[in-house]
Amino acid sequence: MDPLLSWIEATALSTWLRESPSLWVFPFVLILHTVGLAFFVGANVAWDVRALGFLRGVKFQSLDRYFHVMWAGFWINAFSGVLLLIAYPTKALTNPLFYVKLTLIGVGIVLAMRIHRQMHTRPSADVEALPSGVRTLAAASLACWAAVIFAGRFLAYTCTRLMVDYPC
Amino acid sequence: MLDEALRSLQAYLYATPQGEFLRTAKWGWPIFESLHFVGMSVLLGTVGMFDLRLLGFARGIPIAALHRLIPLGISAYVLNAITGFCFLSATPDQYLFNLAFRWKVTFFIVAGFNVMFFYARVFNRLQTLDPNAAPPLAARIAGAVSLCAWIGVMSAGRLLTFFRP
Repeated sequence: MDPLLSWIEATALSTWLRESPSLWVFPFVLILHTVGLAFFVGANVAWDVRALGFLRGVKFQSLDRYFHVMWAGFWINAFSGVLLLIAYPTKALTNPLFYVKLTLIGVGIVLAMRIHRQMHTRPSADVEALPSGVRTLAAASLACWAAVIFAGRFLAYTCTRLMVDYPC
Repeated sequence: MLDEALRSLQAYLYATPQGEFLRTAKWGWPIFESLHFVGMSVLLGTVGMFDLRLLGFARGIPIAALHRLIPLGISAYVLNAITGFCFLSATPDQYLFNLAFRWKVTFFIVAGFNVMFFYARVFNRLQTLDPNAAPPLAARIAGAVSLCAWIGVMSAGRLLTFFRP
């Protein structure tokens, strides 16, 4: 894999992202990734809280708009995440935890879509207690997003190689 | 004067048990940092979603019903105040003399005054508002200021490492 990593690190985009002294380059991408995370996971938290049975009086359909917030956060983070990966490909791709994080994000999105679908196929559930299946999904979703955040933060502490030729 | 006060605060915080704990516990710092990010996401998922509603987003949701998210947001805030205070105690010099930290505190103060303004002047009027009606201007202002202040807090927090003294 090293030749590929070296090649990415040598590209103009990767070099610029790493070496530009401007706060509007690397730090700004980090800010995007953090704010995007807060909206992405935050919108999921709002959904999960409702799916757990709190917030009676808030109709499921009316929470649909927050589904858009979740996707907006997702795309901000996909974009900023790819830029971070281009800046330091070795740091992420040589760390097994990075693949755990990506897998957990996939699981989280599948759970969010299942919760969304289940709530929509039960129009009467707005006033009734939700079936326990939905609550289990919501609890799993919350646990999954917490795990994504832990995995993401621990990436910075468990990397072994910062770049092809530099240890962490 | 200010510098002297900050230096004595730095010495005091550095010697506290929570500071000592976070400096020495093997995985202490990353675990606390992860908790800080979880708290941040829950805060945005509750207070932030409420702010969006105040701006007129997701009309149809009764504001009083959505307000039940706020106690969860306060819990997240408390979690982050505790973990944040531990970071500050562990390496006080990294924060007290850091421009980004001062910005972060400034955004906190803005958010705090905005909360007071919202509950003193705006919230009572919203209780009876038709869920489909446009929120009044004061509610939109409170929502916008809150969202901007929290985005400011997160951005300044992320910049801390780039402004190390």
